[in-house]
Amino acid sequence: MTRSLSAQVGLALITALLLIAIYGPIGVTVAGAFLPMKGGIIQSFTPSLAAFGKLSTDTGLIRSLMMTLAVGAVATVISVMLATALALFSTERGGTHARVVTLIVFLPFVMPPMVTGLSLLIFFRDVGIDRSLLTVTIGHVAIILAIAYRGIAVRLTDLGRSQIEASLDLGASRWQTFHRVILPNITGSLAASALLCFALSFDETLVTLLLTGTESTFPIKLWGMTRLGITPAANAILAILLALTLAGSALAIGLRRRSQP
Amino acid sequence: MTRLTKFARPATSLVIYAVLAALIVVPFLSFLAMSFFSVEGVTINRTPTMGNFIRAFTDPVMMSVFWRTILLCGAIAFVTTLIAYPVAVFINGLQGVARYVLLTATTAPLILSYVMKIYAFRSILGGNGLLNRMLLATGIIDTPSSFFVFNLNAVFLVLAVLLAPFAILPILLSLEKIPAALSEAAADLSASRWTIFRTVTVPLSRPGIATALSFTFIMSIGDFVTPQMVGGPNGFTFGRIIYSQFGLAFNWPFGAALGVLMAAVIVVVLALAMRLGRVPGGASR
Repeated sequence: MTRSLSAQVGLALITALLLIAIYGPIGVTVAGAFLPMKGGIIQSFTPSLAAFGKLSTDTGLIRSLMMTLAVGAVATVISVMLATALALFSTERGGTHARVVTLIVFLPFVMPPMVTGLSLLIFFRDVGIDRSLLTVTIGHVAIILAIAYRGIAVRLTDLGRSQIEASLDLGASRWQTFHRVILPNITGSLAASALLCFALSFDETLVTLLLTGTESTFPIKLWGMTRLGITPAANAILAILLALTLAGSALAIGLRRRSQP
Repeated sequence: MTRLTKFARPATSLVIYAVLAALIVVPFLSFLAMSFFSVEGVTINRTPTMGNFIRAFTDPVMMSVFWRTILLCGAIAFVTTLIAYPVAVFINGLQGVARYVLLTATTAPLILSYVMKIYAFRSILGGNGLLNRMLLATGIIDTPSSFFVFNLNAVFLVLAVLLAPFAILPILLSLEKIPAALSEAAADLSASRWTIFRTVTVPLSRPGIATALSFTFIMSIGDFVTPQMVGGPNGFTFGRIIYSQFGLAFNWPFGAALGVLMAAVIVVVLALAMRLGRVPGGASR
């Protein structure tokens, strides 16, 4: 159905205004990596790469970035493995088991991160576990598990039972069936879930803030900086991450374009 | 089927439920239990009491912040969804590469650090910030405006913009599902474009609208970072008060009780969203 020109212009205008509002803070962030700024105001228009040069000496910042990558990687691997087990369990059992598992898995995802974070904070204190990167990682698993679970469970349901039953009828063990029949069929959804989990973990702030000990991740480091001002080196890291994301997105769009005639 | 039951031996169930209990169920129950405890100095007294809830409901400051926060988050959810809807309609009307580019352009910013975006917003909205400078330079205002400087207006604006992509996606997903044949049929029956939009598109996209509204509401009510950063000294929200109970105020039981109230509000919002999300006269999807 075609739309009237005035309606189309109006819609485009609203979209453009929203994009300006969304990209305003991103522009400020990138500008801060190249231009001298004070309290968000550009001081002079002579761009420099000094902030990128300082990166190699800013060990605290680099360390927090490494910790974020480590927490993200571990939380993602645990989540995807656990979600696979849970999804297998609920698709095999169905009925009440499936409903109960889904309800529990989605609870920390549906509740605001704050409620989940505080629950874990109180729980860890009750059982006497000190706050550290370990508690942060567990917190991330609790939050991102639902995403992985949903992706994998949907794929398993689509896969159906006939192939699995055929494999078992032909005398394959449960492990062989998982390894040779189920796993190859769900690889795509495992990869997609892992990517999404890692992205969510990478910028997780609210739960991490409640569960972190002395060692902190990158978002918490930034949060700590906000009082005195975020350093240009942090802006430089964010500019690099943004460039990588945009390059990845452009690549994905390009691949999509090539795959479509 | 007989072989399949092998997968589901009791031991498997036990392990599965033990993991879920340790990771999710017991922490949430600890949280609930904490709301019935009390604090004495620096130790927590585990004798059950309703004191925290009584205090929460009788303290006039607490109740006013509570209702103000619900109003604020309701407004954020409403306005964000209102802005997101036309954007989703626009994206849905595009085809091919343009569609993917615009979809990526609206969602890619989600990847940039949440804290950094709020921080950047603070510098844009501040008294000497970009927004005021632009308004001064263009002569729209004569003196720097403090309308968006460290108050609830700033919290409102920042969250509405930051949460917009989360509202666009579910609406777009529900718009995509509407068969083109329906609007074509309506057009053949000589319905105007506006009538088609009002009677076909909007009702059929109700699941997306409901998800967008509830998601933005939950995200904003549970946020304490944004009010802390741009709310200023008077921009207290419920989330910020809860957070302070676990920090400086050090009253975990009271903070947990306020958290339980927040969770209760969310359950109500989700129930309302489920009602709203039903497509009128059709089977639920």
